[in-house]
Amino acid sequence: MEITKLQTNKFKTNLCSVFLTLPLKKETVTKNALLVSVLRRGTKNLTTQEDISKKLEEMYGAGFNCGVDKIGNYHVLKFYLETLDNKYVLNNENNLQDGIDLLLEIIFNPLIENEAFKKEYVEQEKENLSKMLLSRKDNKASYAIERLIEEMFDGEPYSLYKYGNIEDLKNIDEKNLYDYYKKIIKESKVDLFILGENIENIKIPNIKTNLLEKIDIKHFKTGKTKIVKENLDVTQGKLIIGLNAPNTNKMAVSLFNTVLGGGANSKLFQNVREKESLAYSASSSYIRRQNTILIKTGIEIANYEKTLNIIKKQLEEMKNGNISDEEFDAAKELLISSISLIPESAEDMIAFYFDQSLFEENLTVQDYIMKLKNITKEQIIEIAKQVTMDTIYFLKRED
Amino acid sequence: MEIIENKQINEKVYIETLENGMKILVVPKKNTEKKYIIWGTKFGSIDNHFIEPKTGKEIKVPDGVAHYLEHKMFEQENGVDSLYKLMSLGLDANAYTTNDHTAYLFGGTSNFYEGLDELMDYVQHPYFTDENVEKERGIIGQEIGRYDDEPAWKLYVNMMDCLYKNNPIKIDIAGTVESISHITKETLYDCYNTFYHPSNMIMCISGNFEPEKIVQEVKKRLLPKEKMDKIKRIYPEYENKINKKYKEQKMDVNIPIFIVGFRDILKDESCVKKQIAIEIILNSLIGKSSKLYQKLYNEGTIMSPLDFDYEFSDEYSHVLISGQSDEPKKVYENILNAIKNEELELEDFERSKKALYGEYVSEYNDVENIGRLFLQDAIRGINSLEYIESFNKIDINYVQNIKNNLFKEDMSALSVIKK
Repeated sequence: MEITKLQTNKFKTNLCSVFLTLPLKKETVTKNALLVSVLRRGTKNLTTQEDISKKLEEMYGAGFNCGVDKIGNYHVLKFYLETLDNKYVLNNENNLQDGIDLLLEIIFNPLIENEAFKKEYVEQEKENLSKMLLSRKDNKASYAIERLIEEMFDGEPYSLYKYGNIEDLKNIDEKNLYDYYKKIIKESKVDLFILGENIENIKIPNIKTNLLEKIDIKHFKTGKTKIVKENLDVTQGKLIIGLNAPNTNKMAVSLFNTVLGGGANSKLFQNVREKESLAYSASSSYIRRQNTILIKTGIEIANYEKTLNIIKKQLEEMKNGNISDEEFDAAKELLISSISLIPESAEDMIAFYFDQSLFEENLTVQDYIMKLKNITKEQIIEIAKQVTMDTIYFLKRED
Repeated sequence: MEIIENKQINEKVYIETLENGMKILVVPKKNTEKKYIIWGTKFGSIDNHFIEPKTGKEIKVPDGVAHYLEHKMFEQENGVDSLYKLMSLGLDANAYTTNDHTAYLFGGTSNFYEGLDELMDYVQHPYFTDENVEKERGIIGQEIGRYDDEPAWKLYVNMMDCLYKNNPIKIDIAGTVESISHITKETLYDCYNTFYHPSNMIMCISGNFEPEKIVQEVKKRLLPKEKMDKIKRIYPEYENKINKKYKEQKMDVNIPIFIVGFRDILKDESCVKKQIAIEIILNSLIGKSSKLYQKLYNEGTIMSPLDFDYEFSDEYSHVLISGQSDEPKKVYENILNAIKNEELELEDFERSKKALYGEYVSEYNDVENIGRLFLQDAIRGINSLEYIESFNKIDINYVQNIKNNLFKEDMSALSVIKK
């Protein structure tokens, strides 16, 4: 297990996280999602959720959270525990040590019955996960984004929904899930992050784990833009566009994205919302590890063509070098400022250093800002020339 | 300057009340690079009927004005959009409107004083023309459309319809496409001149500041304004009953969502103590560590913990318990039963209290959270540190008393959204 301690005096709480990282694969994606929810149901010593909840409340309302995420072609099982710093406890408890012990207990010492997880827990969590998978369409905005990703990366690992799929659930039971657990506990890359003020004197057991094989991102491009339209009961249309960005100079891509759709001064916000009043929101985001930029807007269904043309025009403008100094400087300032806010959030800080270590870049927040400062407008235009429109997804109402 | 300190959690708030009536609260944070400021006015969607202090004229405004005004504040006479300007300074700027207040804010690690110039400039210089008011209608219309697709928002609006007959909390914050069609530049100026007077405004600042110095910086940027009498707000008569027991709406959700609401008409209690008591009751009897939650979870009736919310002002006050379930009515009955029949054990009381204390302390992790918290509370006349102070004064008898008097079946309602 790789242990990273991040010392900071900014917070009244400490945050500990454990990440189990595995390759993102069709065969295991559902198992991973289910496993996380089974683990939080009970441990050898705290056998029910009620016991765990009571323990957390005793620890001044410590916050436990877990879930799965995909970063590039990796699937990450995440576990977080936030505890009140020992300075503020009322009866001299060692709240941080108690927290780490509990977090590791949940992951590495689960409740086992007859060489399997508790049947009842696995069945209930299967039921819950299947309900969740069935209600994916309830949140239209996030559903539209997930659908774009599915279409854009069709046939590639990144197209997989991070919570898996209903078909796979049928074949999972308490026995084969436990076998799978024993396997991945040995095979996954395990990271423990501890962030807080007084984090030196803590005891961490020695847990042996593996290194991870490196997986490169290969995205299959046809050169043509794929267009997908889907009907659902919505009043407002969701237009999502996936762009291919180059796999070089990611700092410049990041700045390109900010000029395009990173805030009130961006080309999208100014042109789609402010000048044309077509949408309340118009923005873009950069999926760094996937070399992808997503453009997101919510529009009136009749305005599809008009909005699409305005968006295309913005990309064209950037290609032709039509980026004003004002736009460029504002975007740079905004991006630097958002990076400099990372140390102000415990979760962002851990996510940043985890991502840096996973992709072996090992930059500090300060290094990152320095590099960003040196990016020029010419480099952004270079990026603009390489960006292509991969997939257009439109969620609308039936005509 | 008034100073309130809490030694237990090592926090201080400095409070300055200026001659023009404006309040400034400063919560210094030494170890943070981030600075945050939020400037609020006691003007929200419920304030749609009032008497203008200067003229004595009674004014009724269309629903959604406070929110419309918030949108229009950013536009300046010289064509500059202040949101654009703040963001190009690398500041994360925004504004929002609630039932009872509107706020303008920004935060960031650099260019704070340039941002302060801009914030205090645009909030003090409204610029409304027939043309620019017209242009905003489309954007706000889209925003209203977005809410119309939001089941959780409809669920809330329907609950308000259950709990109140005539209360303005029932009004959608952004109004409706119809109501905003009546908004003109004159409406906006009338509201601005009444509600954006310093005596109706509160500013909260948190970050690495010298309190005296930052208050001077703010004072320097304030425009002189004539004194103004208190604004008389006109609300419908206070209701002692709920409106409906049940409301259901069909929307495209896979698993039904619901809110159980309880009207709170206990007028004479301290809101801070009452809120702590409510949170202890709900945590102990229906929270994650409760018997009821385990039962409902294990039988598959609910799949995640219920959310609690206590909303209050002088005009409204209610407890909301929300969640997702295929059987909302069953959950509702179980909640009523648990609160009525389950004893609040001393052990549960102590544990819940400890957990709440930890949660309140962790609110002080971030300057942005501190700013919002102090503003929200100050709008309702509460100093946020009171929550920490009040923990020592809460005993189980007080909590029992709230449990027996607030959560009455005839004061409760259920709102459901399902396919």
